[in-house]
Amino acid sequence: MNRITKTLLTFGSAVCLAGAISAAQAETLKIGLAGPATGPVAQYGDMQKIGVMAAIEDINKAGGINGMQLEGVIYDDACDPKQAVAVANKIVNDGIQHVVGHLCSSSTEPASDIYDEEGVLMITAASTSPSITEKGYQLIFRTIGLDSLQGTLAAQHILNNAKPQRIAIIHDKQQYGEGLATTVKSVLEGSNVNAVMFEGVTAGDKDFSALIAKLKKNNVDFVYYGGYHPELGLILRQSREKGFGAQFMGPEGIVNSDLAKIAGQAVEGVLATAPKSFDQNPVNQARVDAIKAKGEDPTGPFVFTAYAAVELMKNAIEKTGDTDPEALAEHIRSNPLDTAIGKVSYDEKGDLTESTFQVYTLHTDGSKSPVK
Amino acid sequence: MTESFLYLIQQLINGLTIGSTYALIAIGYTMVYGIIGMINFAHGEIYMIGSYVTFIVIAGLLGMGLVSLPIILIVALIVAVIIASTYGWTVERVAYRPLRGSNRLIPLISAIGMSIFLQNYVVLAQGSRDVALPPQITGGWTFGDPSVFEVSFSYMQALIWIATFATMSALTLFISRSRMGRACRACSEDLGMTNLLGIDTNRTIALTFIIGAALAAVAGLLLGLYYGVVNPFIGFIAGLKAFTAAVLGGIGSIPGAVLGGLILGVTEALTSAYFPSEYKDVVSFGLLVLILLFRPSGLLGKPEVEKV
Repeated sequence: MNRITKTLLTFGSAVCLAGAISAAQAETLKIGLAGPATGPVAQYGDMQKIGVMAAIEDINKAGGINGMQLEGVIYDDACDPKQAVAVANKIVNDGIQHVVGHLCSSSTEPASDIYDEEGVLMITAASTSPSITEKGYQLIFRTIGLDSLQGTLAAQHILNNAKPQRIAIIHDKQQYGEGLATTVKSVLEGSNVNAVMFEGVTAGDKDFSALIAKLKKNNVDFVYYGGYHPELGLILRQSREKGFGAQFMGPEGIVNSDLAKIAGQAVEGVLATAPKSFDQNPVNQARVDAIKAKGEDPTGPFVFTAYAAVELMKNAIEKTGDTDPEALAEHIRSNPLDTAIGKVSYDEKGDLTESTFQVYTLHTDGSKSPVK
Repeated sequence: MTESFLYLIQQLINGLTIGSTYALIAIGYTMVYGIIGMINFAHGEIYMIGSYVTFIVIAGLLGMGLVSLPIILIVALIVAVIIASTYGWTVERVAYRPLRGSNRLIPLISAIGMSIFLQNYVVLAQGSRDVALPPQITGGWTFGDPSVFEVSFSYMQALIWIATFATMSALTLFISRSRMGRACRACSEDLGMTNLLGIDTNRTIALTFIIGAALAAVAGLLLGLYYGVVNPFIGFIAGLKAFTAAVLGGIGSIPGAVLGGLILGVTEALTSAYFPSEYKDVVSFGLLVLILLFRPSGLLGKPEVEKV
């Protein structure tokens, strides 16, 4: 190494150090944003990011929280439980104490264990598996209803509105999908309606022709699918090709425009339970416009649940004058708050006391309309 | 015809279709193993790349306003085969040739590395989301009384059967009749001896990788069109299934790979048909274990003779 390079390097590292010092001096509060930024379900991560970033921008424009500016730091767990644990440890090591995420229930569950133990406040905007809040955590909350509520709503719709003759319940054998499918099944059984089929498929499979032939043979006229859009998209597409025309219904995990890209025309009329369309709520008009102005999509189901998660943190920090996760958790648990998703109040476990789901009909162009 | 008979026919059609595509991918595994005695773990990735190229070409041609389906398919096939073969050849050059003659485990690891590299390369280049293509070949035949059970056999399924059969026949002819095919067979008998007799074994091995990759590209095209969806991770599962098919039929044997693929596909379809479909993989792999217990070298494999 010659002298000039050495000088340059020294100069370079001095500049880096100076940068680090100035960053530390400015009053910023980092909010960890954990979810899939890559992988097959990355679009849900985008929704969460849009919501959190919009909230942070709004708060910063209004002068921050007690003079502190917020900064969102993105961590990618690719919806993979193993990577979620690594991400959670990284967040703890990076000294971040406030996290919005994770997204997939199977990632949130192992990660929340780490956060609760290490004293990090976590609010998930998308994970609906009941087991996450069943371990008596103090620092874990969510701004979305439980699987069990969503499943119950779907089952009630099946019983009261759809009234099919022969129901099949299919799931993807994962925590989220199978949990929902089991809830639907047990609620239906409670009203003495038995599904003719209750079966799992393998996530990542591409060929469902054997399953569809079986549905056809059993004269099924209604299929509830617990899982995500890649598999349901293929099931719908192949059903159409094979002339199997039952009514399909799924959870919010199938609600995004990629479903229509995969399944095409077969999407028209599919039912889905999803969080209420908060972007349609007049309260959020200004926020929706701001998001649209940035060229982003405000209609995703997790955009405003993520927005509300940041609002909860902001309000708690303002009211307690503290950023300590335990004090914030205590405040959030005991003080209901009006947010972008309506009034948010929590039970002891950190679950919402009111359901935020509604039944929708999906359309080929990727839009959805509420079912009355 | 009764309902249960028609249902069985339908499931056999489904199973043979999946099985045909397993067979196409399995041949790549079995040919490489037959010649150099190693498993090419990057093979599933070549299939995935074949699928991607098909999608890009079809979308490009449709975008350019071309409407003639046969021309689109032929162009897509040619481009997919050429690009996938190039990748197959590169894998051999980069991950196998420099390591020839070293411990058998080393090329295995480098092939796994190649597989991870290719998968992530496609993730970076194309994104990790599902890419979808609208159905290109629609329609089909139906038979059976609709009030009992209607069996459907789509044109796409027919195309898969025909293409698989045609590719297999061409390959069999090539191996048994052509000069290069004879060189391949000689290499699989005894690599060292073939080399001594003045046959360019490096070239023959490279050719094997290219043929395997071309077949994987055909499978990529067919399955891409059939399912209409591709993502960078499809190669892993498809590769695993095809590898299973190759082992089932007797690794190293080309008819064995075809037989293994068909048996695996039909077993999966019939298991889904008569048991809850979550047992599909349990039964298929249970069958694999059973067959290997009684025939350790697979259905059509030659018993391993220790060379002295």
